[in-house]
Amino acid sequence: MPIINFDNSATSFPKPIAVKNAVLTAMNQYGGNPGRSGHKLSMDTAAAVFGARQEAADFFGAEAENVVFALNCSHALNMAVKGVARNRPGCHIIISSLEHNSVARPVHALYLQKRCTYSIAEVSHDDDITIDNIRRLIRRNTAIIVFTLGSNVTGQITPFKRIGELCSRNGICFIGDAAQIAGVRPVKLSDGINIICTSGHKSLYGLTGTGLLISDGRYVIHPIMEGGTGSTSLELTQPDFLPDSLESGTVNTVGAITLGEGIKFVNKTGIQTIYQHETLLCDRFISRMLKFPSVKICRDSRIKDYLPVVSFNIDGLTANEAGNLLSDKGFALRGGLHCSGLAHNYLKTSPNGTVRFSPSAFNNEREVDMLVNAIECIV
Amino acid sequence: MKKYTIAFGSVTTAIKAQSVLAKNSISTEVVRTPKNLSSGCGYSLVGYGDILRATEILDRHRLVYKSVMEG
Repeated sequence: MPIINFDNSATSFPKPIAVKNAVLTAMNQYGGNPGRSGHKLSMDTAAAVFGARQEAADFFGAEAENVVFALNCSHALNMAVKGVARNRPGCHIIISSLEHNSVARPVHALYLQKRCTYSIAEVSHDDDITIDNIRRLIRRNTAIIVFTLGSNVTGQITPFKRIGELCSRNGICFIGDAAQIAGVRPVKLSDGINIICTSGHKSLYGLTGTGLLISDGRYVIHPIMEGGTGSTSLELTQPDFLPDSLESGTVNTVGAITLGEGIKFVNKTGIQTIYQHETLLCDRFISRMLKFPSVKICRDSRIKDYLPVVSFNIDGLTANEAGNLLSDKGFALRGGLHCSGLAHNYLKTSPNGTVRFSPSAFNNEREVDMLVNAIECIV
Repeated sequence: MKKYTIAFGSVTTAIKAQSVLAKNSISTEVVRTPKNLSSGCGYSLVGYGDILRATEILDRHRLVYKSVMEG
């Protein structure tokens, strides 16, 4: 039985044909270690990796050298949060009530190590209230605000441009978690975000094991890991320039090249086209679900603009049970806490969590209708 | 035309510099930095012609190079 994937917020599947082809091309042609040698294999690979770096730079409005390849978004966020905080011992950090553990855990770890204090700003349905909530928490030593740009649980989009302005006015480093929004809605450094962190394998359609840290260069990011970079090799200290300072060890060349192709796919398809397509699928799903009284959709009717992600629950079933039953019927939806305990606590959907419906550019209306029919059998 | 070599700290900067110069119709090749130009690892651009014009373009794009050599 073929599986229909509606768990694209965890990782997108299927991948575009161009991405699949890029894997083969990379394996066949780009087998060198970039930045480590002068031979053709190494140089060709370095050029291919640079091409992907430039693609990401253009996509997020950055300079290519300020694009760092990471293992995933958690890795990028750890580098950003811990790397910036290191220069500010005892600083205060603000995060949102919708954070994924990729933000909450590194910040909490810094707190346990007595390297920072932190506060949680409640995200409201009303952006004015959200901004006020943040403003009230700002202290003299607030150095970093880390906010999800769009929730991986509800799809709520945070007012990140206004947060950027607030950070800029107060000399605060703004780190944005773009894991769910990148590839669906435009996000640029010019939105006031100092460091954008994202996965590469979700709506950017690269392989798993890819992520990006994109800096505007304003804040020094100390490395959380040192090692070989292919540069300044006689020195025992890590290079202080990007991307080398944060890219120790051999980069995931195949992953980076596929990520570049994934971004090209998003550009070619059109980010607005993808957003509209996925939003239509979500709207269709929600409208069909309304006929089932036992289904509770986790959306706030006062919020008009969501990322194409829908969380829901079915009375009488835990989220995991519902996910498993749907899996038996050939559908992949993620049930549980989505690594976002804070968000589920805030939404009062903890400890059960929710079932999450997250389409990609490759899903269609027929598949949504098939899912609805499957849900009808279990409600 | 005179040969010149411009050394950079990393392969990323060297390839970016090559791309920037190419957009200004200056053709260069990325090579490992020769030992007489820099100790340790690094990458350089080798080109032929007006080195001042090349470095002016790099300066304009804030591309940091470590050293330059003519000949």
